Amino acid sequence: MIDGLLILLLFQFFGEIIVRLTGLPLPASVVGMVLLLLALLLETPFTQRVAPAAGGLIKHISLLIFPLGVGIVLQWDRYQDNALALGVAVVLGTLISLVLVTLMLKVLFRDGGRKGETPHE
Amino acid sequence: MNELTGLVHTPLFGILLTLASYRLALWIYGRSHALPLFHPFIVASIPVIVILPLVGVDYTEYRQQTSAISFLLGPATVALAWPLYRQLHTVRSVWKPILIATAISAVLCAGIAVGLAWWLGAPSAVVGSLAPKSITTPIAVEVVKSTGGYVSLAAGAVAITGIVGALAAGPVFRLLRVTDHRIRGFALGLVAHAIGTARAFEYGEKAGAFAGLALGLCGLFTALALPWVWPWIAGLLG
Repeated sequence: MIDGLLILLLFQFFGEIIVRLTGLPLPASVVGMVLLLLALLLETPFTQRVAPAAGGLIKHISLLIFPLGVGIVLQWDRYQDNALALGVAVVLGTLISLVLVTLMLKVLFRDGGRKGETPHE
Repeated sequence: MNELTGLVHTPLFGILLTLASYRLALWIYGRSHALPLFHPFIVASIPVIVILPLVGVDYTEYRQQTSAISFLLGPATVALAWPLYRQLHTVRSVWKPILIATAISAVLCAGIAVGLAWWLGAPSAVVGSLAPKSITTPIAVEVVKSTGGYVSLAAGAVAITGIVGALAAGPVFRLLRVTDHRIRGFALGLVAHAIGTARAFEYGEKAGAFAGLALGLCGLFTALALPWVWPWIAGLLG
């Protein structure tokens, strides 16, 4: 657990260093995520120990998020004028996206899937 | 008495309220057999929304009280590399359609939400808050800073997107006659991030793995692309 947390904070810190040095308009934690992914793919020693901490944080991601989300209700006066636009964009937008993405996948996986069929499938 | 009322203005109060609400929400979610409508994000918010105004703590103060919890969003984002790494091994054979699908879907999901909100006359900060609505929340709340949006609105839009996507997936897949678990999982992960991934696991391990992969790739792609592209889009929308 401690090893995992150490790895996560260290890679976030690396991300922060890169963002500050290069001035990239990217979130430091996302850069840290890419760096950790690279380290994992290169089988860098020690990085596999990230598993318990990573799993725990991801499992309880809602706990980290919902304190931000309550702002929608608690600061409703800021958003109420745009309630219709928000409702349509989020609810209808999601339904349209889901239909289009599913259709696109049906086309893409029909071609790519056959070629890439593996024995266990 | 004054000693006691001062207690609500401490981090201890905010964090205790947050954790207790979350614990209650987990229990309810379990009892509901993981119904998307009872997602902990929604249920845990209710006690906080009710109690804060009662004790006279505003949203800004609550955010300060719970800054220790919010801090963990950084490491949690870095942690997403782990499931991504695990899933990359399982889908090596179909990486090409996967990458193409991720890129198109990320543009579609963001574009439709931004387009609809803009068309209905929402101001740029609100439109910008919706751009990352289909990606996983820890990344979305970071990315929204580059689109000039509101963090709270982005977090809420992401959650509602996930819930709508997870609820609509069953009917949509029936309607479009989708039986391939790879497609079901990948679509859920692309459109409805973590909540969709939880739904995909109900179809089985394979759907869940594809959803988890989609969630990671889509979040990564959007986070890497949006900060560069947004100034141009914002200019276009006026």
